[in-house]
Amino acid sequence: MVRIKNRYIAVQIVPYAPVNTLRLNDHTLSKCLLQNVEKYYGVYGLGILEHGFRVKYCNERTKIAIIRCLHRGHRYVSSILPLITLIGDVRAKFRTLYVGATIIQCNKFIINHQRQFLDRMMGQVASAKERQDLFKRVMELDMDR
Amino acid sequence: MIGYHYFDVQLKFRDFDNVELTPIYFRGCVLNSLEKFFGEIGGKTSLDIVKFSVEQRRVVFRVPEEFYKRIHTVITLIGHYQEVPCHFQVLKTSRTPLDFKKHLIGEDYCEED
Repeated sequence: MVRIKNRYIAVQIVPYAPVNTLRLNDHTLSKCLLQNVEKYYGVYGLGILEHGFRVKYCNERTKIAIIRCLHRGHRYVSSILPLITLIGDVRAKFRTLYVGATIIQCNKFIINHQRQFLDRMMGQVASAKERQDLFKRVMELDMDR
Repeated sequence: MIGYHYFDVQLKFRDFDNVELTPIYFRGCVLNSLEKFFGEIGGKTSLDIVKFSVEQRRVVFRVPEEFYKRIHTVITLIGHYQEVPCHFQVLKTSRTPLDFKKHLIGEDYCEED
């Protein structure tokens, strides 16, 4: 039996201007990525990538997305991510966080990543008042880096 | 030293009277379709025209060795030249320089890797 290998790419969307929520959905994101693949790798690259390509998860509050693609085409996506500066109509860039073989591993990584971020930020804050503010902001997912 | 691959190509047009066949336009046509099929990253290369004959409608050009397969694909897939339906037939490919005189038209032979 033939097993189909997938790759899951966890990315963070970093907007140019700090905003609370990105007006982005799965469709806009996948359209933007496929357009860029066609620009940089042509019809050939698009043909290889399109089969099996899907944006599995896109959270506009945490600004994190998970992209699924076939194993043989994942380099077409991961190599163009740093070149993208406009997503839909929002000026933003991608930060590749993790490339994994299962969505569970991606999920684990994202949870760890967020936890580390919170620990780091909490360590930097001196006063209790600021710490409370940060905690509140994190709970409201209002954190721009 | 960069290794080159030489192509001997026969150009066939449906309506040759409406076509302005020059080395520059031909080169532009090939490079445009290369960029369309393989994009900005995959489709940038140098293409040197070695021989060009409008009467015989034949071209000999060379490309860097790593672009051999891509150019072969693109040459085969080209369907229009200046909006005139056409098709380009690869008569011969070689690692050594090619010439019109050495190989007659209709000699249907491609050197494989």
